[in-house]
Amino acid sequence: MKRLFLLMLIGCFVVAGGLLTLAQDTETITLTVRCRAKPPMEDWRGNNFILAAEELNADLEAAGDPRRVEVVINQDNIDWGDYVTEFVLSYGAGEEPDIWLTGHEYIGVQAEAGRIIPLDELMKEFPGLNNVIDSLWDSTMYKGEIWGVPQDAEARPLYFNKALLKELGWSANKIAALPGKIEWGEFTLYDMLAVAKEAVDKGVVADGNGFWTRPKNGPDFTAFYYAFGGDTIDAATGKLVFDEAAGLKYYQFFYDAAQAYGSMGCLGLGWGDAWHPGVSGSKVLFWIGGTWQWAEWAEAYLKDLGGEDYMWETFGFALIPAAEQGGQPNSLTHPLAFLISSQCEHPDLALALIDKVTDYGPNTRHAIASTHLGILKGQTEYKFYKVSRLLSEALYMLAYTTFLPNNPYWGSYSSLVYEALAATVGGDFTPHEAVDFVVDGLKRELGDNVIIR
Amino acid sequence: MRGQLAPYVFLSPTLVLVTLFFFIPLIMVFILSFTSLDMTNFGILEWWRPVNWNLDNYVKIFTNRFFSRILGNTIMYVALTLALFNVGMALVIALITTHIKRRTGFAFRVLWFLPRITPVVVYTMMWRALAGPAPMGVLNKYFLGPLGIGGGEYLLNTHPWVFIFLVNGFIGASFGMILFSSAIEAIPKDYTTASKVDGATTWQTIRYVELPMIKWPLLFVTTYQTLSLLTSFEQIMLLTDGGPGLYQTEVWALTAYHRALTSYFGNTQWGYGAAWSVVLVIIGIVMAVIYLRVFKFGELVEEPKIDQL
Repeated sequence: MKRLFLLMLIGCFVVAGGLLTLAQDTETITLTVRCRAKPPMEDWRGNNFILAAEELNADLEAAGDPRRVEVVINQDNIDWGDYVTEFVLSYGAGEEPDIWLTGHEYIGVQAEAGRIIPLDELMKEFPGLNNVIDSLWDSTMYKGEIWGVPQDAEARPLYFNKALLKELGWSANKIAALPGKIEWGEFTLYDMLAVAKEAVDKGVVADGNGFWTRPKNGPDFTAFYYAFGGDTIDAATGKLVFDEAAGLKYYQFFYDAAQAYGSMGCLGLGWGDAWHPGVSGSKVLFWIGGTWQWAEWAEAYLKDLGGEDYMWETFGFALIPAAEQGGQPNSLTHPLAFLISSQCEHPDLALALIDKVTDYGPNTRHAIASTHLGILKGQTEYKFYKVSRLLSEALYMLAYTTFLPNNPYWGSYSSLVYEALAATVGGDFTPHEAVDFVVDGLKRELGDNVIIR
Repeated sequence: MRGQLAPYVFLSPTLVLVTLFFFIPLIMVFILSFTSLDMTNFGILEWWRPVNWNLDNYVKIFTNRFFSRILGNTIMYVALTLALFNVGMALVIALITTHIKRRTGFAFRVLWFLPRITPVVVYTMMWRALAGPAPMGVLNKYFLGPLGIGGGEYLLNTHPWVFIFLVNGFIGASFGMILFSSAIEAIPKDYTTASKVDGATTWQTIRYVELPMIKWPLLFVTTYQTLSLLTSFEQIMLLTDGGPGLYQTEVWALTAYHRALTSYFGNTQWGYGAAWSVVLVIIGIVMAVIYLRVFKFGELVEEPKIDQL
């Protein structure tokens, strides 16, 4: 009996020792991933990491690396401003995510503050990242280094309502030809306003609904400033630039749109209760939106009417027209990018995860579900990418795309420029007053960090 | 010794709470208002060092092109909400519900109190839905549409101030309503009976008997609600967020919030926002002192002129 007890005791020690050794062999590392994602269309932004972690753990095991990864995903659809504040404050408290998905234009300010790390060296061990389209890396460069891995891209087209154009007397052929005319610079921004005014005059749309932009500040407005020849960054110094002549044309356009062409009744509207129902509900003739909103309208606003099928019949899209006849049309892409916190203890594992989700399968899942453009070379040939008609038809816009600048002071710059725009649209400022307001404000707030031309 | 310490022991929880959550934040906000702390230099700028303090934020506030509009909005918002609802309507409801059958008056006051006990976000979102475009918006669909008076589809964009007054007023009136009605009910019946015996009409009873006797609750509600309205912005933020036009419905407290805590591109300016709030605190203190002087608050806390019973 005594011997049996002794044997059992030894057995227990052996099992416990074995378990302990096993436990010591592997170390579980928790990596947090924070994404801004509109459910359900954009859920793959975070969810792809669940599959990536499984794959990475298999790789680690095969390579004899004792580390194992567990990912915690936190994604929701909060405002961009709150999203950035959350990262900065949580960084201060040492509770920031290891991987942070955000707009590329935030890189400048976060890099300057030392909250994220440059990735050039680490990336050498992940050749799969070379599949990312070269020009997209420009959006994540700051001071000659790469600080983020692009996650998606999009076009911000000029949408038009075919049904309303028909009401205005446009033939099907004329409507079908519109994107081409815009691409060749034969239909300008002011031509668009003229059609918008005609629609208002004939009662096809309500006053103010001829042409809409987004209702609040955001990247789209910069594309118009570019259209009028504006520049935002000085290549030589990396400083922000405000071009007075282009700015004047830019404000004149929005002043005219609101005061004389029955447009721009959109500023200040709520997204969910007025803006989306307005554009998707055929109350607006022309508007600037994003390709990702196509999925949103189909899913959240027009499902009952037939979703995408209805939308292909009713809506069309084109580049943002040129400012002058024969000029260059444009579009703006705003790539989101995965950044790695400088307080992350295992940046190599974080990048390994990012590498896994930056592959044809995971990225295409997200692109299709959210109607974002792909970011990988040859992705348009990928079997499962080709199924999306929108992504295929909007792809040509990437050739005309522009970016926002990566500069720490972009937030202040953009707020001032938008404030003047809202005042111009509201009739508080003339275009000249708007330019003066921006120039004064930029000089006061940014001093030597901005160049006024 | 023990007896001397006892009051301080009892006061200590309040002292600790007030120090932690009022005085220290107040001092920090005051210091921050002299710095340029924002998203770009957070963690870099040593904001606590006097060498980094200056008056730039205050210069920016008082030279802001939209300063007068924001100040005007604030004065209009506080004055009209206070006059029409928080004091005016509160007094009317209190007078009516204390001059009808007690139980009916009580039931009416309970109903009026419902918005106050509803979470503010839920309550404001209900108003947004009411004001929304047809077929969702009840006001457009069932009232304005059939009457043929239009009003536009987005009532919050065509008449933002109307909704701001209504949304704040319905909640604000309930506070005064409770205080005024309990004060009116506390007036000894002998006074009103005597006035009726003397042949006073209901209006004369209210004007010459009841109103003078609820002077102190009127003073308190006016003072308290002025300060409260000066610093309140949550309903406006949820309803219009200061829009629809540029600063069209932006009040001072909302500006402080916007500058310090929100921005599309994340350039939140904590120092600048703090300066807006410090000015608001100063305005609040000045207003409080004026009220106390004008209404002779000192008399309220004087020793009674008659012997204690």
